[in-house]
Amino acid sequence: MKNKKLDGKMTRRTFLKSAATTVAFGSIGLKAPVVLGQAKKFKGVTINGATFQHFHATCLKEYLPEFEEMTGMKVNLELPAFPIYNQRADLELSTKGRAWDFLNITFIYSGRWIGAGWFTNLEPFLKDPNLTEPAWEPDDFVSGAQSCLVDSKGNRYGFAWEAGAMIMAASRGDIIEKAGMKLPETFDDLVKVCEATNNKEGVKAFVNDNLHHWHWPPYLMGMGGKIFKDPPENLTPTLDTPESARAAEYYANLLRKYAPDGALSYTMDQAHTAMLQGRANIQTQSISWQVPLAKSDKSQVRETVRFGFMPAGPAGAFPCINSHGFGIPLGAKNKEAAWEFIKWALSKKMVKRLAVEKGYSAVCRRSVINSPEYKRNMTHKGQDIASLYLRVLELGGRTGYMKYRIVPVFPQVGDKINKAIERIATNQQSAEEAVKQAQAEAIADLKKAGVKIDI
Amino acid sequence: MDQAKTKSIPVAETVVPARIAAKTRYQTQRRAYRLYLLPSLAVLVAVTVAPTLFLLVTSFTPLNLTLPETIGDFSRPFFNYTFLLQDKRFHNSVWVQIKLSLATVSLQLLAGLAIALLLNIRTKFLEACRTIFLIPMVLPPIVVAIIWKVLYTPDISPVLWALRSVGLPAPSLITEPDLALWSIIIADVWEWFPFTMLMILASLQMMPEEPIEAARIDGANSWQLFLCIILPFLRPALLVSGLFRLIDSIKAFPLIYILTYGGPGTVTEVTNFYVFIQAFNFSYLGFSSGITVAMVTATFLLSWWIIKIVGTKVEIE
Repeated sequence: MKNKKLDGKMTRRTFLKSAATTVAFGSIGLKAPVVLGQAKKFKGVTINGATFQHFHATCLKEYLPEFEEMTGMKVNLELPAFPIYNQRADLELSTKGRAWDFLNITFIYSGRWIGAGWFTNLEPFLKDPNLTEPAWEPDDFVSGAQSCLVDSKGNRYGFAWEAGAMIMAASRGDIIEKAGMKLPETFDDLVKVCEATNNKEGVKAFVNDNLHHWHWPPYLMGMGGKIFKDPPENLTPTLDTPESARAAEYYANLLRKYAPDGALSYTMDQAHTAMLQGRANIQTQSISWQVPLAKSDKSQVRETVRFGFMPAGPAGAFPCINSHGFGIPLGAKNKEAAWEFIKWALSKKMVKRLAVEKGYSAVCRRSVINSPEYKRNMTHKGQDIASLYLRVLELGGRTGYMKYRIVPVFPQVGDKINKAIERIATNQQSAEEAVKQAQAEAIADLKKAGVKIDI
Repeated sequence: MDQAKTKSIPVAETVVPARIAAKTRYQTQRRAYRLYLLPSLAVLVAVTVAPTLFLLVTSFTPLNLTLPETIGDFSRPFFNYTFLLQDKRFHNSVWVQIKLSLATVSLQLLAGLAIALLLNIRTKFLEACRTIFLIPMVLPPIVVAIIWKVLYTPDISPVLWALRSVGLPAPSLITEPDLALWSIIIADVWEWFPFTMLMILASLQMMPEEPIEAARIDGANSWQLFLCIILPFLRPALLVSGLFRLIDSIKAFPLIYILTYGGPGTVTEVTNFYVFIQAFNFSYLGFSSGITVAMVTATFLLSWWIIKIVGTKVEIE
């Protein structure tokens, strides 16, 4: 047998093999996507980022190895609980720290973080074709979700991964039906349903986590109240009105009478787990927490969950809307690598994959929302969740009732709301006393912050 | 006599230069010691004095992290302090702090004393027990907080489950306004009684046998022995460990942060936690510096007073 290596001759077969290989590699080189070209660029780079514990982030983490394989970079993604994340991010951003390369821009802090100049303006990244391919289409993001991530000049500082729209879910809709009732449509109905179904089959009728300044305002506005007089122009707090007291009493009563023992200390995850396990029935929460009840493998209520619109009060229905986005802190060390991550995480392909493969619902890309796959995926046992989602987004966009939430001083006022609801729910104070105290503290705090108010 | 005179002159003559030499040597030594101290002093100034001064200066400004221009605004230097006097939430936090400190320090001293007395016998079993008792103290505070969070959360708590299964009431301690502070106190006592136990045990093991033997011969019973001999001997150890725990209780944070976040309402919001909220949730660094200055001053005065007492007692002993 002849040894080809030794005699140095090239056979016809060897020649054909070599030619085929050269053509194949050549064509990859010519038509390689940008990201492959960047594989060498980011090799050995490690980026650190964080967002809060959320279904979206948990799913995204599962796809990270693909991104790391594609780009060569290593991504450390931290997911602390919501309040812990916000405190750490606030501290890190305020000191212009370099620990994180990308961060979530939390809705309620967006005015403050972007207003203080703590995030990187992404316009130069978007305008540079070497950094952003036109096919990425930044304008594909729903404008309502992007509004809190843009400054007054229209510069973008982040891109939304969640357009949260509050809807109602009943994990054990079957219990409500057995009681001869249907999903509540008004505040009065909600109390009647809770009263009739509480503790049936060992299930508490209602649950929400301890972020009362997120959950309570729809009840406040439904009763005809407001948090500020006319945000963002006039930030005079209006927490001590009769409507406010009525709404606080109503909501605290839901927690006091119908929520699981210890629910006042529940984080978002704990409340969500109670819903997934069917230990609590009704929750009014963002769609991204509600859809997993129908889609998640961990859900024990896939057969019984029902979805509905936020119940209306005498003044109407005001389901909360929020959006969270990824941005690059001003002090980030690896801004280009971080941008590459954000582009990948919020690319049309990944947004669609999360929606279709994981059932993530609160997507912000119009092209995905309008896709038949998304609509199909958002239909559960004949319930059209996509329509509920769009209805909430349209309502919020039309009336602008969520403006109160992105003013820079909202965290201070939100803290007063949290404390007031806790005091009422634990019978430490009457609703009137609690909202009066919240109002007085909010006024003092706003004055301390140098905010001009009418009082 | 003459001889003595003639001998004394050279002595005086030699003593004076010797004294001068000794003085020079002493001064050189002192200068050298001062020079040796300089690096440590420089570090101390950089690490302790400078931040304290910065804190003090900041307390006279309305410094807000979101408004960098407020850093040098001394237009209303005493605003933070006057606001503090009117701030009911701050007053509440001080009251919560007093309750927490009194309860935790007293219970830790009592538990530490009781267990130290039990463990003050040299057997292999009790020596092993000593090590086990030390575990809570060496755990990271955040781990301690998580352990107690599990124990207090009705959905997952084995203790509450066991109580309920035998028909006993098992409320969620951390969300009941009357019990929330006690839930912190219990966890804090569990974490830190080993410290007082260790201090008291060390003191017990240094105690001479003679006074006890003499009292026994005089017919003293165990209770009299404890009250009249052992307790007075332990007083300095009790005061020192109490002082340490008191200062530490003013710095309470991880348990409150994880277990109650100051709630429900503000029933577990101690001053230290209030400072944290003002500084890091609201970015009011000027105001939080004002509270911190007040806290540091109060802690200093309290420590000075206790040290004065401890010092006097030690002298008497």
